[in-house]
Amino acid sequence: MDVDWELIAFLILSAFEVIGSILVVVNKRMVRAAFWLAMTLVTIGVIYLLFLSEFVFLIQILVYAGAVPVLFVFGIMLTRRKIMDEPPTEAAP
Amino acid sequence: MSAPLVPNLFNVCEVLTLAIVWIVDQILYGLASVIPPLTGLAQWFDPAYRDRLLLTPLAAEPLIIVITWLIAVTVIVIWATLFNLLTMMWVERKFYSRLQDRYGIMISIWSLPFWPFNRTRRPTHRGTGYLQNIADGVKLLQKENITPRNADSAMFHISPVLIASSTLMIFAALPWSSGFYVANLDLGILFIFAAFSLAPLGILISGWSANNKYTLVGGLRAAAMLMAYAIPMILCVIALVFYTGSLNPLTIVRQQERTLVSLGPIGIPAWYIFSPQILGFIVFSVSMMAEMERVPFDIPEAEGELVEGWTTEYSGMRFGLVFGFKWLRMIAGAALITILYLGGWSGPVFTTLYVGGVPVPIVPEEAWFLLKVYLVSVVFIWISWSVPRVRIDQILNIGWRKLIPYSLATILIAAGSIAWGVWAVG
Amino acid sequence: MPEFWINMGPQHPMTHGLWNMKVKVDGETVTDAKPEIGYLHRGYEKIMEVREFQKNVVLTDRLCYVSSITWSHAYCLAVEKMMGIETPERGQWIRVVSLELQRIASHLMWLAAYGPDLGLLTGLLWALRERELFLDLIQLMSGARMNQNYPRVGGVRNDLPENFEAMCRRSIEHFLKKVDNEYQRVFQESKVFRMRTEGVGRISAADAINWGVTGPNLRACGVDVDLRRLDPYETYEQIDFEPQVWHDGGAGDSYARFICRFNELRESCQIILQALEKMPKSGAYRVKAPRRAEGEGYAKTEDSRGEALFYVIGDGDDRPYRVKIRSPVFCTMAATPLMLRGNKLADSVAILGSVDVCVGEMDK
Repeated sequence: MDVDWELIAFLILSAFEVIGSILVVVNKRMVRAAFWLAMTLVTIGVIYLLFLSEFVFLIQILVYAGAVPVLFVFGIMLTRRKIMDEPPTEAAP
Repeated sequence: MSAPLVPNLFNVCEVLTLAIVWIVDQILYGLASVIPPLTGLAQWFDPAYRDRLLLTPLAAEPLIIVITWLIAVTVIVIWATLFNLLTMMWVERKFYSRLQDRYGIMISIWSLPFWPFNRTRRPTHRGTGYLQNIADGVKLLQKENITPRNADSAMFHISPVLIASSTLMIFAALPWSSGFYVANLDLGILFIFAAFSLAPLGILISGWSANNKYTLVGGLRAAAMLMAYAIPMILCVIALVFYTGSLNPLTIVRQQERTLVSLGPIGIPAWYIFSPQILGFIVFSVSMMAEMERVPFDIPEAEGELVEGWTTEYSGMRFGLVFGFKWLRMIAGAALITILYLGGWSGPVFTTLYVGGVPVPIVPEEAWFLLKVYLVSVVFIWISWSVPRVRIDQILNIGWRKLIPYSLATILIAAGSIAWGVWAVG
Repeated sequence: MPEFWINMGPQHPMTHGLWNMKVKVDGETVTDAKPEIGYLHRGYEKIMEVREFQKNVVLTDRLCYVSSITWSHAYCLAVEKMMGIETPERGQWIRVVSLELQRIASHLMWLAAYGPDLGLLTGLLWALRERELFLDLIQLMSGARMNQNYPRVGGVRNDLPENFEAMCRRSIEHFLKKVDNEYQRVFQESKVFRMRTEGVGRISAADAINWGVTGPNLRACGVDVDLRRLDPYETYEQIDFEPQVWHDGGAGDSYARFICRFNELRESCQIILQALEKMPKSGAYRVKAPRRAEGEGYAKTEDSRGEALFYVIGDGDDRPYRVKIRSPVFCTMAATPLMLRGNKLADSVAILGSVDVCVGEMDK
């Protein structure tokens, strides 16, 4: 019973990654898409860890999971006309 | 030399695991006398039986190693949350109460509802108040978890998990002494920063998903502020790496254990706060205060204008998680400052007795480390309860226009002092 | 990011009382504001028409629950003018002492509310701690901590208790020490506090006068208007005091309003000390007021928040025919959108806290 655990982990992670990246594209809500983007980037980071490159993994988490999606969501929130479903407000006095 | 109270967390937990396995084994043997098929399982867990069959020793079995790791992680989590989190909240509440000329929380053990003795004449509210935080936690557990009607439910529920888990991840790499840690990573400091940097995403998502204007503005503020202050923090660490040459917390602390200058009987230790990195220490501490969302920088949940900021819509224990884990982040931040600049667990007095060759610490390293962590935290608490809140644009001005140039200057100072040998590398 | 309206109230930590400030924000910048008031409207002017003159004092106490004596005093003054009676001299001096004590208590309540507005909870507890001293003095004088029902038409309800003067001096001495050593350091000299308040919520003197802003808020714009000095009532003309006016540059911002109110704490202490000095030690403190009256009475006083005005018409019955109340906060509230526009969202708290809103008198 010689199971290649690394291969299994790689397959699971890549499945997550593929599904995540599809969700990034398909999702209608921008913030959810950004969340899935973060998840995809984290799984890529874990795949780096499988290759025993710790440093790249940590930098990936630090930059691509911590900073990039936040900037994306920030940009979305600052630029989109409609951020949340709100009833039409009355005009200014 | 010093000695930690826990020489090696893994070994300690291994002993614990084996003890638990022994108890389970005895129960299995007892069950096996009724249900015979269980005998094999009981024998698999029996060290004596394994010896007879020349199997690998129980401690080397992968299953037992996994259980041991899980127990080690549990021990650290319990130590961090159940002891340090509660103590830190208690210290803060008592300390700022004294600043404000009042007693603060005073619940005593006599006010426990199930206390079996006659309580009529006991002082129920003249104690130290340590139980108050536990009572608050129990109250939050009993509360209903309300999800706003138009909230993005999945995101709304995921973000406390994201914040809590990323905060707990910090403690996987954070050593409490030279033996009391889960994992000794070569890139430990970087790992801690990576775990720190995950929370802004959770805050932003929670702020957006609650479909509330206060949380949205709070989330935007949190993201803008935490991003701005993570940069000078990491730049300061880069400057420090010029001296340490390593990102391993144990190595960094070991470098600070030597004595820098002896002034008569007092030896000044070679902590990095006494190096040219004093500027880095200040910048790092200020950024860390912003990262912990403490009062001069607590605009993400400015309760004056944005009811409770991004935590407005949370209720029940979900609110307890996002609220209480702020203190956990504060402990982690103070511990990081202690490790990087204040010499970690190195202290002036280590009374170690050798009982049959085994070092028994009277003042262990953990005590020094906790002392420093709590002192740093008390300074933070002191500052945060004596100044008003800074406005968002002023915070960003401080971050981008002051702290980042200063932290770049620390890198220059570090490079210069290394090049001219002002500060010998440990 | 689109502009949207944020409700600062009615259930909001910023609103000290029940009112709603609708704020339109573009990101973090306030582009427009609209105060919504009336949540606490109790129909005061109408209720007062069906109660006797003397019994209305109880109502006017509740106009502003943190500054009761000043309001019931303004009403009593108007009724006295209508009836044409004069308070005895000792009564007037006692009124001055009680008014200034109430002013200090009211300003301390404002200070206590302003601290947490800016995120400084320590200020709240410190200010409330010292407010206790003055509430104790008021209690000693009138028997109640809130809604004292102390001024009467024709004087005050009762004489000062024994050794009130000594206690007053002791409390004020202690308080002035605290003001210099504690409040000044944690508020006025704090760099962060000045960063938050300087230059925000600016309103020009012309605008302030046009919108009817009065009291410390107007004096912070550099206009030297203090009814105690310009139109002295009671015995204020015999007292030597300095109205707190902001003379430096940068007038009309939150910091100027803060400084004017803050210095009034000290100034009121001096007024009390002088009044205790100059007060006749004995004598009548009340004259009997007639039950019925006819005519018009008009009194304006310097309330803790601005100019309080009472206009009472009697038609020969034992109750007023018509009462008109001018609330200073009501007018100041109309001017708040001017102060808010162009500032940051976080500043709205620093601005609205500094104008010292009391919803009871605003909604009447």
